[in-house]
Amino acid sequence: MELSRRDFLKASAAAAAFAAAGAPLLRPTDAEAAEAGIKWGKAPCRFCGTGCGVLVGVKDGRIVATKGDPAAPVNKGLNCIKGYFLSKVLYGKDRLTKPLIRKGDKMVEASWDEAMTLIASKFKESIAKHGPDSVAIYGSGQWTVFEGYAASKLFKGGIGTNNVEPNARLCMASAVTGFMTTFASDEPMGCYDDLDLGDTYFLWGANMAECHPILFSRMIDNRLKNPKVKIIDFGTRRTRTSQMADQYVKFVPQTDLALLNAIAHVIVKENLYDEGFIKKHVVFKKGKENIGYGLEDNFKFADDPKPITFDEYKKFLEPYTPEYASKLSGVPAAKIVELARLYADKGRKVNSLWTMGFNQHVRGTWVNNLVYNVHLLTGKISRPGENPMSLTGQPSACGTAREVGTFTHRLPADMVVTNPDHRAKTEKIWGIPAGTIPAKPTYNTVEMFRALDRGDIKVLWSQVTNPFQSMPNLNRYRKGARKGDGRFVIVSDIYPTKSTEVADVILPSASWVEKEGMFGNAERRTQQWFKLVDAPGEAKSDLWQTMELARRLGYGSLFPYKYVEKEMFEEYRKFGEGQGKDMAPYEVYTKARGLRWPVVNGKETLWRYAEGYDPYVKQGEGIKFYKNKKDDGRAVIWARPYEPAAEAPDKSYPFWLCTGRVLEHWHTGTMTGRVPELKRAYPAAVCEMHPDDARKLGIKHLQKVKISSRRGTIILPVDLNGRGKAEKGNVFVAFFDETKLINELCIDAYCPISGEPDFKKCAVKVEKA
Amino acid sequence: MPVSGVVVSCVQDRAEHVAALISAMDGVEVHGTLPDGQIVAVVEADTVHDEVAIVSRLHDVDGVVTVRMAYHNFEDEA
Repeated sequence: MELSRRDFLKASAAAAAFAAAGAPLLRPTDAEAAEAGIKWGKAPCRFCGTGCGVLVGVKDGRIVATKGDPAAPVNKGLNCIKGYFLSKVLYGKDRLTKPLIRKGDKMVEASWDEAMTLIASKFKESIAKHGPDSVAIYGSGQWTVFEGYAASKLFKGGIGTNNVEPNARLCMASAVTGFMTTFASDEPMGCYDDLDLGDTYFLWGANMAECHPILFSRMIDNRLKNPKVKIIDFGTRRTRTSQMADQYVKFVPQTDLALLNAIAHVIVKENLYDEGFIKKHVVFKKGKENIGYGLEDNFKFADDPKPITFDEYKKFLEPYTPEYASKLSGVPAAKIVELARLYADKGRKVNSLWTMGFNQHVRGTWVNNLVYNVHLLTGKISRPGENPMSLTGQPSACGTAREVGTFTHRLPADMVVTNPDHRAKTEKIWGIPAGTIPAKPTYNTVEMFRALDRGDIKVLWSQVTNPFQSMPNLNRYRKGARKGDGRFVIVSDIYPTKSTEVADVILPSASWVEKEGMFGNAERRTQQWFKLVDAPGEAKSDLWQTMELARRLGYGSLFPYKYVEKEMFEEYRKFGEGQGKDMAPYEVYTKARGLRWPVVNGKETLWRYAEGYDPYVKQGEGIKFYKNKKDDGRAVIWARPYEPAAEAPDKSYPFWLCTGRVLEHWHTGTMTGRVPELKRAYPAAVCEMHPDDARKLGIKHLQKVKISSRRGTIILPVDLNGRGKAEKGNVFVAFFDETKLINELCIDAYCPISGEPDFKKCAVKVEKA
Repeated sequence: MPVSGVVVSCVQDRAEHVAALISAMDGVEVHGTLPDGQIVAVVEADTVHDEVAIVSRLHDVDGVVTVRMAYHNFEDEA
């Protein structure tokens, strides 16, 4: 009996795999019998920004099976290895199930009423004594749309402070400012279909094979079918992605700025640009130079854009000869010329893809601008199969942090607090008195944690993220949180983390399908799911928690909903209506496997700014960057120079340190680290190092070394033959391991325009431990 | 015992070779090789831990490009 049921399950597993591989077999009825009693519901995956569709199987109130959702266009029935842990992350043994309040060194169980009474009293006291800017909320791109919206509405529209920031500031902020400065509208014009339709892919420091495996697979599937497809991996570290690429081009950290200008230089010099496209769709500008690194507290920067001519832009490019860029980057000049020609090849559909290599960069906004320059010069943009595409790392970095606007300076639908019309529109939709939303942004994320350290912020609530592991220059911010003197830190999470360690109150949260939610992925796809199982113990959603604080602070009227999620979404989507950010009614998302905005008359948009695809582009316009009204519907090519990193290797600290993710772990590992099998697969952080560098230092494979920067020291085994291979002069350490806090070594320098810190470049030394 | 259905995509012309290699691995049953170089396999093990260890090993087999999971049932372990 048991054996036959097992055979049925195996048949079921094989049938699903055959169907997903594109060879549908008849589903055995026996398999259906084996699955009897399992109820299936849809949800987007909980982990990265790809937004894969998952079918979740529930039996007796527990998740017992998952499938790649065959109806989901993103992943067409297949999930990556992290799919194995989707449900298990909910069932770790140490799930937080009761509120905990600090009593001295101990965290003591409390009722929700006690915890919320204490939290509300701390908020009231701090606001009364120090003003509304002394309290703050810090969330992430793991917030559902509703959770981010509620946080923003309570803090900006109720309490009256712009102290709202997300982990997305550490992750996507440079992509946002890149899009805003070039196109005056956040998020990509293209979509994942470009991975199937293009034939040339430039990856800039993006290890897609490990960090976006499903998207990488789509590109590889394309190559298997089309021998013309070429993948070029620009990187500072040889990865699994490099192994699969047709070319791996290594370069010295930070010199991507020079390389992209040199590529533009060749395109201009050899007349490879699309003159008609440029005349019709492009303006040229330059901004300030020598813009600093944000290393001082309360650093301020405002750019001063000035229009320039195409000729002036050409003049700006003149010094960026392939030879000059070669000297900086180590990429042979002939290779730069070859790749510039490949970018401009009229017979090729060219795409650029990037993630943290560009975004976590002290010139992150600039390097985003520079890659758009190349696409705008060649006219390879807003066309099926040829686009620049910024990938995301969190499931709703786009849907929540960016679209809802949970940054200090932002409001929903790309609006900003500094614009009086935007504030007025927001106050009207929120039904709050004019003048409630403060006109000035307060702190970006780094400045927010600096303010907590200084004591300018007293009460900080962190939800769905782990800042006391993920911040750069971590020692300062971990100490700052525990300095006392009225500081009060609240952390909502599903497991104990490095952040709950420094908390005064810990609140147990519901996760993923334990609540109703919505995420928005990197291709503008908004996805909805229903609650499928109960949260354990007394855990509650962050949405409930935020609304409960609102009620206790006297702002309950901000949330007058009966069916909270649906009514909140209907209110939220008013912001995007008619703005090129339109969304469908809530009901539509309950059935669809997500829709890509703008959604007009029930139809999603695959390619923005493109006639025939984007309903905002009129007949005969071809391509129109209609969101950039001040430049007459044109995009901006920016003259942005190469400038050095905030800290480069020198005699005392001779190596570049780069941090990042590995396939098995997601972000700070608080979920994936709960799964013993993932821990076993990649149990602890290692220091990837080039064998030649190790030999010089007399260090052997797996020997322990001490890595130090000017900010901290950790001890790790060296890996000379790991999955990733460091280039000479570079070391790489993954940041998931909470027992090895590599971020203590990272510098908290940031891009002055985006406020995003550079986790990819600082100077370290390596010694035998 | 957890069971999963996976799709292994391979470097062109290597699918038959990879299929032979992985079908010799404990806990892996190859159910078919498609003309486009994809292999459909069922992975089973005593625990999800062991199952993932097998999938990680599949990733490392020479000629394997990606391993993706279509179906995963772990109700006996839940």
